[in-house]
Parts: sequence; structure tokens; C-alpha cells
Amino acid sequence: MVDQSIAGPVMASVSEGDRSGRARIVILLLCLGLATAVFLSLTSGASDASVANVIGGRLFGAVPDDAALSARDSLIVYDIRLPRVILGMLVGAALAVSGAVMQGLFRNPLADPGLIGVSAGSSLGAVAVIVLGATILAPVTALLGTLALPLAAFCGGLATTLMLYQVATRRGQTSVATMLLAGIALAALAMALTGILIFMADDRQLRDLTFWQLGSLGGATWAKIASVGPIIVLALAAMPFLARGLNALALGEATAGHLGIPVQRLKYTAIVGVSAAVGASVAVSGGIGFVGIVVPHLLRLLIGPDNRYLLPASALLGASLLLLADAVARTIVAPAELPIGIVTAVAGAPFFLWILLRKRGVVDL
Amino acid sequence: MIEAKDVSVDIAGKPIVSGVDFHARPGEIAAIVGPNGSGKTTFLKALSGELAYTGRVALNGRDLSTMKPAEAAVHRAVLPQATMLSFPFTVREVVKLGLVGGRSGALPGEDARLPERALARVDLDGFAGRFYQELSGGEQQRVQLARVLCQVWAPVLDGKPRFLFLDEPVSSLDIKHQLIIMNIARDFARRGGGVVAILHDLNLTAMYAERIFVMHRGRLAAAGSPRDVLSDDLIEKVFDCRLKVGVLPAGNMPFVLPQSAVY
Repeated sequence: MVDQSIAGPVMASVSEGDRSGRARIVILLLCLGLATAVFLSLTSGASDASVANVIGGRLFGAVPDDAALSARDSLIVYDIRLPRVILGMLVGAALAVSGAVMQGLFRNPLADPGLIGVSAGSSLGAVAVIVLGATILAPVTALLGTLALPLAAFCGGLATTLMLYQVATRRGQTSVATMLLAGIALAALAMALTGILIFMADDRQLRDLTFWQLGSLGGATWAKIASVGPIIVLALAAMPFLARGLNALALGEATAGHLGIPVQRLKYTAIVGVSAAVGASVAVSGGIGFVGIVVPHLLRLLIGPDNRYLLPASALLGASLLLLADAVARTIVAPAELPIGIVTAVAGAPFFLWILLRKRGVVDL
Repeated sequence: MIEAKDVSVDIAGKPIVSGVDFHARPGEIAAIVGPNGSGKTTFLKALSGELAYTGRVALNGRDLSTMKPAEAAVHRAVLPQATMLSFPFTVREVVKLGLVGGRSGALPGEDARLPERALARVDLDGFAGRFYQELSGGEQQRVQLARVLCQVWAPVLDGKPRFLFLDEPVSSLDIKHQLIIMNIARDFARRGGGVVAILHDLNLTAMYAERIFVMHRGRLAAAGSPRDVLSDDLIEKVFDCRLKVGVLPAGNMPFVLPQSAVY
């Protein structure tokens, strides 16, 4: 019979298959990682502005030797780098968490806000303002000023998602398969309309468009943070409440319902949250790809698919990665700047392929 | 107590289940049998609130259509025929999802250990750390049963019986595990809960079920105790197959019945 004195292995097996301990450690490390990324972003750039001087001046009232230089440094750090860092964190977290939530919702590790047409819809809105802002949409741009572009992108994303929801929902039931396919169709349509607009654009507009479409945090200002920050923060704050429901949803919609999850409400909340977060992100930073798909994937390999840990970890890693990518984009061809979307794609795509090849069995698409 | 009166389900305009009366009592295993496509699974889906139906379903005296998912989840747990997972969850993580509603009914502080205990009951001791997707179909089915057991760990909660809905719980299992799973169901019923199970094996059904509901072309063909229901005539009518109840094979042809199991 079983020897009752072997208590050691029995105790050890209690937590077998439980990855929550590891997840907590990883989240802690990601916090440190984000702090490091923030520090790197604040200290690196085309100018030699000294963060130490600026922080010393503001916090401790230390008076540096050269007051004029200090004022310049202060301007660079507070009005250029800091808003950019905050915007980068917001956008990175929003894209990564939105990716994780969409993947949970569609029960497909390839789902991505880009896939269901939110990004394409946002792009259409933004491109419309860029190209038609001086002609047909002149009254709109005159009224809204610099807010016209972010607002149009946000509205485009939300409109696409609402249309998608109308198409995919019958008698209160949302079919995920229909939604996925309808999303692909709507994205194609939005991209075609965007293409027509690009065709109409003049040379100067084309440059604007290209840069915006490739994605950039270059235009970060405190005003932009004030306009999209609250939307992203609100959406991100709502996501953790979806974690348990999304976990149950991995077993299928019917089984999630049997477990007591209000599936329809869960889906609706996730859709609205994701379109708000992604619409706001695209509005201020254009099309930054791969964050929403690479970050959750990487983390699932590390800590497993439990959304209670996956969502906060995605926010932290997404924010850190975007800051690092932006630091590279700002410095690699200084004093010029590379669109950050190029950096995330060049780094993200091969890495993603490598993960797929290496972990084929476990990821199992 | 589960009571269904005149339950009908249409799918895409076609009647799949028509006018079925059904009841499941605590302390009993109620088996639903019938040929493929006779509406068994559709009826169970109506009973679990997954499909829209006409008629009336009451769960412990309350109208199912007025219950929120979280309320229904307290009274019953559902084991589907097969469950595909889209992400690499470990076995323990899957079983733990049964506790998501937080009403297992186990003693306070015991919830954390339930996944291991449930896995041990379905004979999957030591599987907690494995990836669900790497298991065989029969093992996956038993992992899902462990999850379902966690959801309604106590067969009686707040003085009310709880129910297990099992859709072909033993269809992909070897004979040893068929007996283990049916014994779990019987034990759940004996401790005050109720079980509704769709079964295909008539011998297993006769051995374990207190009550059999026979479905045929979306309607109830017969209901009652195994002794009353399982007759040559009924089997020929419903399954379109001429079989004799209780007739041994001729000569020295070997046969193995679950009833001969020795514990």
C-alpha cells in the first residue's frame, strides 16, 4: 500500500500545474522592467539634456551652474520626453491588453484589434481628416482644430465595431465566427476607402499619411494625453474585471454560461472597452503593429493563459516594449526619427515567427 | 428537483424536440437514451438554459427562464460531450475553472485543494501539471468531469439538491473508467444530489439509472424504471433493431457485462 510517510512529494504535488506563483514573480519583474524603460526613455534622445539636473532642480531646489542650460533641459524633459513616455506607456498597455482581451474573446491566439477592423476603421477616420481636412471637411477641422484627427480616428474605430456587432449579433447571441469574418470584411472595406483617399492626396499629405500610418509617438503633447489618456485609463481599468469570465470563455461560450458567467454582457463590455482603447491609441500614434499579438503570446508561454495575470502582465510588458521601441526609433537615426511601427514590426515579426517554430506543440494554432 | 413540462425546441424552423415531459429527483440517476439524432442533446441543452425552448422548466421550484447564469450555476453543473480548449491551460487550471462561481459548497478554505481531490476521484492523480491539449480524448473528458465536480462539490447546498447534467459522460472511456465515472454519478445521487445523464450503453443504463427517459424523433417514447422501460418491443420500435432483453449468447460465445464488476 501507499507509504503514508512520504509526505514531501504529496505536499509538492498540491501546487503542481499552478502557475500563479510564477506569474506573480513575472509581474513583479515586469514592474522593475517598466521602471527601467521609463528611466531609459527619459534619459535618451537626440539632445544631451540631463535628467539628473532637471529632477534635482524640481525636487530638491538644487540650483545648477548654468541656469539657461537647465531651462532648456527642463523644457526637453518635461514638455517633450515626459509626455512622450506617458503616451508610449498608455498606447503600449492599451494595445497589448486589447490584444489579450480579443484573443480571449475570440478564443483564438491570432485575434487582434487589427483583425476585427477597429484599427482599420480608426485609420479611415484619421486619413479622411488628413486628406479632406482642407476641402470637404473644412468646417469640421475649423471647429475642432487639432482635436479633429484623434476624434475622427476614435469615431472610425467605434463605428466599425458597432457595425460589426450589428452584423454578428442575432437575437442577443454574438457568433464569434461571424464576427471574425465580418471583421475581416469590414477591415478590407475600410482599407479600400482609405486607399481611395490616399489616391486623392497631394504630395505633402502623402508624407503625413505615410508617417502616421507607420505609427509614431512623435507628436506627443500634454494636450493629447489629456484627450485620450482618460479613455485609455478607463478602458484598462475595466479589463481586469473581465479576467475570470475570459478564462471561463476558453472552454466555449456554452460552458462559460453553465459556470455562471453572463456571457453576453462579458462580450459587450470587452468589445466596447477594446474599441475605446484601440481607437484612442490609433488616434494619437497611428498604426503600431505586433504589440497586441506578440506581448500576450510571449506572456502565455511564460505564465500561462490565466487572464487574471495575463492582462496586468500584458499592460506592463506592452508599455515597456513600446518605450524601448520608441527609444530605438528616436536614437538610431538621430537627429532624424524612424516611425516606431517600423521598429515594432522589424523586431516583432521575426521574434513571433521564432516563437511559433519553437513552441509549435504548446501554442497549437 | 428538475421538472420540465411540454418542452419543445425548434432549430432553424425545424422541430428538434417536441412536447417532452421530464423530471429528475434528488437521490436518483435519470438516464436519457435514444438513437442518434433523437433530440437527447438538444433537450439537455434546453434543460441547462443553453437553447431557447417553449414550455416550462423548473430548477428546484424556480422557473429556469427567470434565472441568471450565476444563479443556475449554483443548482447544476453541465458536462458537454467534448470540450476543445484554445489556449495551453494546465489540467489544474482547467479544473479550477469549476470554482469560478465560488459556490462549490466545500468547507471554507477547502476550495484550494478541490482540483487535486476532484482529479483523484476521476483517476487522474498526478495529471495536474500536464497540458490539457496533450491529453487523450478520454482523459480530457475526465478532466472536464473533475471541473464539473468542483462546481457542485457538495451535492446539497443551502438545503437544496444540486444536479449534474452529463452528456454522454462515458462515450470515450475504457470500461474501467466508465465504471468509475458512473460510480461517481451514483455516489453524487446517494449523497442527496441528482444526475441527468445521456447514455448509449443500455446495460450501463439498466445498472445505474433509477429512471429512464427514452427519446425517439424528438418525442418521449417511454419513461419509467429500467425494468418497465427496457422491453423487446420498445427497443425494436425506437432503435429499429430487433434485440432480445435478457437473452444470453448461444453456446460458449464470451460476453462481458458491467454488472459483473467486483469492487
